[in-house]
Amino acid sequence: MGQPRHAYVHVPFCRHRCGYCDFTLVAGRDDLIDRYYAALGRELERVSPEPPATAGSPGLELDTLYLGGGTPSHLGPAGLRRLFGLLHERLHPVAGAEVTVEANPLDVTADFLAAAADCGVTRVSLGGQSLDAMTLRALDRDHAPDDVRRAAGLLLADGFSVSVDLMTAAPGQSLAAVEKDLDAVVGLGPQHVSVYCLTWEKGTSFESQRRKGLLQPAEESLERQMYETAIDRLGTGGYEHYEVSNFAKPGARCRHNEAYWDCRPWEAFGPGAARFDGRTRITNHRATTTWMNKVLVGDDFSGDVDAMTAEDAARERVVVGLRRRDGLDREAFMDASGFTLDALAGNAIASWTDRGLATDDGRRVRLTHAGLLVSDALWADILK
Amino acid sequence: MDCKHIRNFSIIAHIDHGKSTLADRLLERTGTVEKRQLKEQMLDDMELERQRGITIKARAVRMEYRHAGEVYELNLIDTPGHVDFHYEVSRSLACCEGAVLLVDAFQGVEAQTVANAYAAINLDLAIVPVINKVDLVHARVDDVLLEMEQSLAIDSAEVIKASAKTGVGIDDLLAAIIERIPPPKGDPHAILRALIFDSHYDSYRGAITYVRVIDGTITKGQKIRFLETSTTHDVLELGQFVPQRRACETLSAGQVGYLVCNIKDVKQVHIGDTVTIPGDQAAAPMPGYKPPQRMVYCGLYPSEGENFEELRDALEKLVINDPSFEYAPESSEALGFGFRCGFLGLLHMEIIQQRLEKEADLDLVQTAPNVTYRIKKTTGETIEITNPQDVPDTGQIDEFLQPIVRTNFLVPVEQIGPVMQLCTDRRGVYLKTEYLSPTRAMLTFDLPLAEVIYDLHDRLKSVTRGYGTMDYELIGYFPADLVRLDILVGGKPVDALSIICDRRDADRRGRAIVKKLRGEIDRHMFEIALQAAIGTKVIARETISAMRKNVTAKCYGGDISRKKKLWAKQKEGKKRMKSIGSVDIPQKAFMAVLDTGTDRQ
Ligand SMILES: Nc1nc2c(ncn2[C@@H]2O[C@H](COP(=O)(O)OP(=O)(O)OP(=O)(O)O)[C@@H](O)[C@H]2O)c(=O)[nH]1
Ligand code: SF4
Ligand SMILES: [Mg+2]
Repeated sequence: MGQPRHAYVHVPFCRHRCGYCDFTLVAGRDDLIDRYYAALGRELERVSPEPPATAGSPGLELDTLYLGGGTPSHLGPAGLRRLFGLLHERLHPVAGAEVTVEANPLDVTADFLAAAADCGVTRVSLGGQSLDAMTLRALDRDHAPDDVRRAAGLLLADGFSVSVDLMTAAPGQSLAAVEKDLDAVVGLGPQHVSVYCLTWEKGTSFESQRRKGLLQPAEESLERQMYETAIDRLGTGGYEHYEVSNFAKPGARCRHNEAYWDCRPWEAFGPGAARFDGRTRITNHRATTTWMNKVLVGDDFSGDVDAMTAEDAARERVVVGLRRRDGLDREAFMDASGFTLDALAGNAIASWTDRGLATDDGRRVRLTHAGLLVSDALWADILK
Repeated sequence: MDCKHIRNFSIIAHIDHGKSTLADRLLERTGTVEKRQLKEQMLDDMELERQRGITIKARAVRMEYRHAGEVYELNLIDTPGHVDFHYEVSRSLACCEGAVLLVDAFQGVEAQTVANAYAAINLDLAIVPVINKVDLVHARVDDVLLEMEQSLAIDSAEVIKASAKTGVGIDDLLAAIIERIPPPKGDPHAILRALIFDSHYDSYRGAITYVRVIDGTITKGQKIRFLETSTTHDVLELGQFVPQRRACETLSAGQVGYLVCNIKDVKQVHIGDTVTIPGDQAAAPMPGYKPPQRMVYCGLYPSEGENFEELRDALEKLVINDPSFEYAPESSEALGFGFRCGFLGLLHMEIIQQRLEKEADLDLVQTAPNVTYRIKKTTGETIEITNPQDVPDTGQIDEFLQPIVRTNFLVPVEQIGPVMQLCTDRRGVYLKTEYLSPTRAMLTFDLPLAEVIYDLHDRLKSVTRGYGTMDYELIGYFPADLVRLDILVGGKPVDALSIICDRRDADRRGRAIVKKLRGEIDRHMFEIALQAAIGTKVIARETISAMRKNVTAKCYGGDISRKKKLWAKQKEGKKRMKSIGSVDIPQKAFMAVLDTGTDRQ
């Protein structure tokens, strides 16, 4: 498979934990940040035990680098410089590489932008979630609509490629509110928009309030309307729908995420981060402190190991591939996986096309709009 | 051992009155089991018995006891108390000369006390009456003595007061067993005659038969003949239960034990068969056992169609351990190939299903139970219906008959009213009330068996706060206004979901069933209509709306492994479904038709 040309770094810090969030992170524990740098530095030694400079090599060459979280911007300008200092010892984004950092609108300051530019950041993914004050409160977020506008304005003016996250199906959110959010985002004009429907995860405060009857999830038919509205409005606004939750202006797709969906190998560092060598996906221990402690004492810090046979991996490729609006090209699939699409999924595809859930022109298979909406129910036919 | 020193007896009682606990005390007192090896209800050693805390199988044990200077062999059989296992009791009684009849000092005489006592009396067995649990603070010994006298004509002077918990009265009981129960009458020198009263299949040793020797002697190594199946076998091993199997050299008249003959073909074993010697000197066959009346039928299907043969095998092996259920192959459009099985009651049905699943490692789909019906056709022919599918077209039916049972309820007097109400709601016909003591009465009703089987017992327990018990006996088949109610899923009738019910209940049940099904069947990508119909007339309808949205939003780096696990779970779930057309129906939905919509006014 060759060396991975993509890397993900997980930064597990946030100012506070949003009520719906079950990501790997610690909130209000900035005291752990120094230990995090130390641990991350140690984990990066997986790339090469000696500093590459000593060995006379530039380290791992990357086409994309993605800093996610948590909230990487929470580290602040100085923290960001320190983090990239560590990363650059072993990771080397090539010229023209896409380097993304996730940011909370409140953290986007002139200083932060200067630091980001110095560190080679090309793209900022803004955790906007909504441009409606009520929705932001319902989502337990600590920023206001104006913070999103201001942050997006600054970023775009400074020449960063910008993505804005939007959330739908927040408690109490109406369809009209979603429409307004979409129009507002289109008005801001970022290159990229991701739209996520709120999910109710075990262990979150939202979920426990739901069980007590204090919060009520949106009706499934409303969720669907919101999603369809997003597809419509963003389409009209010039954004191409290219994956379940992702929309981009021409040429502005997230190259890093596309690497995941192409099943190319990638590296990953930090608590809960998952790396993939083309066959096996290893997820680091999800608890931030456990990961740190294990890394620092030299223990095995991997959690879940998903080791696949060539066929398992090919089946997975069918699923993630079909979640993209471009669908799967038979020839490309065969070249990449070594399996013919029809051997793995021929019957399923035929039954989907019969039911109007997919189209198949003999070369390329795509889910239809109807198929996309219920696609989770299709994967049982594919995965072994 | 000569007959004079043998006593054979069963312990009988209503459920939970303490039979197995009393057996523990007897095993302990006679030194059959060492104290440190003794467990509570030690004879209940089947996994299901321990889980549920009830006896399911009768268990025989040989004990030795010294009384008045002489050593006696006591063969005890601990029997189950639940009405569904009554066949175990009657088979046990046929091996005995006496019965220890237990009555709980607090609960008093209950329905199975009366039923089991009469079973013993009708076989002319000597009854040793015992009031158990006299240690209870709320024991009401005097009342219970009165109830025993009123209902069974038991002389209070003969009743032993005991506690299987503390051991009080156990010595008295052992003395009474020896003094009041007659020794067996057989002749150890006569021609061999033994009764097979039970058996089980052992994967190493083949079928092991449990026998009571009536006459003659069986010796290790000899040849024996089973009369009913006309097969001859070598006795490889024989022995007694102490309570584990312990080999010995001979078993002679009056004794109870087991035979190992390396029988791999379970069809050669027939419970109730007579064992004798081969050749023309052989003894005449004994009458054996009357097959029990099966009360409920249901379909059992392997959830993986290809396991049909394994299911057949498992049924063949289980039936030699429990001859009270029966089975015959059948097929269903919805479920494929399986068996229609008849049971003594719903608990029995549940136990058999669980034993099959555990002992043979099978996963089964069960259809809702029904009773047997009879139909007089216009041609004059009468047919028995054990599967609703077999009901002919209305035009061919002259009379539709259902089984009616005479049901006795033993209830505290203050709950007579609610119990009467319960029975009239179920179209019961009132016969009589008898008072057993100032506090307890016996009500008798004739009721449709179908009403009794499904939920009457639970309802009785709830209206009498657990104090009411019931017992029933089939009195015959009587005409009723019955219909077959079909259930259609996505417009297709699902044969395994049809039921037979009273026309006046059809609307209510139809509505209850489709409502229940709506909760059991997951949403699909299309809308699913659920209908209940009599013939072509739809009487109830529900719809399962189509899935509107089901798509994971985030599928980045590490999400994929996690999401795959969720999707795989859905897949697992799908495996345990039956597809009818393109609708996946979970296995337990086939029991949904049991929902009677009981909130009747
Ligand atoms: N207090 C008290 N409890 C008893 C006595 N005998 C039995 N029990 C309890 O009564 C319950 C039922 O006892 P079992 O021995 O299982 O009753 P059983 O008659 O064998 O029940 P089935 O075989 O299921 O019909 C258990 O909880 C026993 O511990 C007794 O003499 N005194
Ligand atoms: S800011 Fe993002 S990562 Fe942090 S708690 Fe909120 S949702 Fe989770
Ligand atoms: Mg018992």
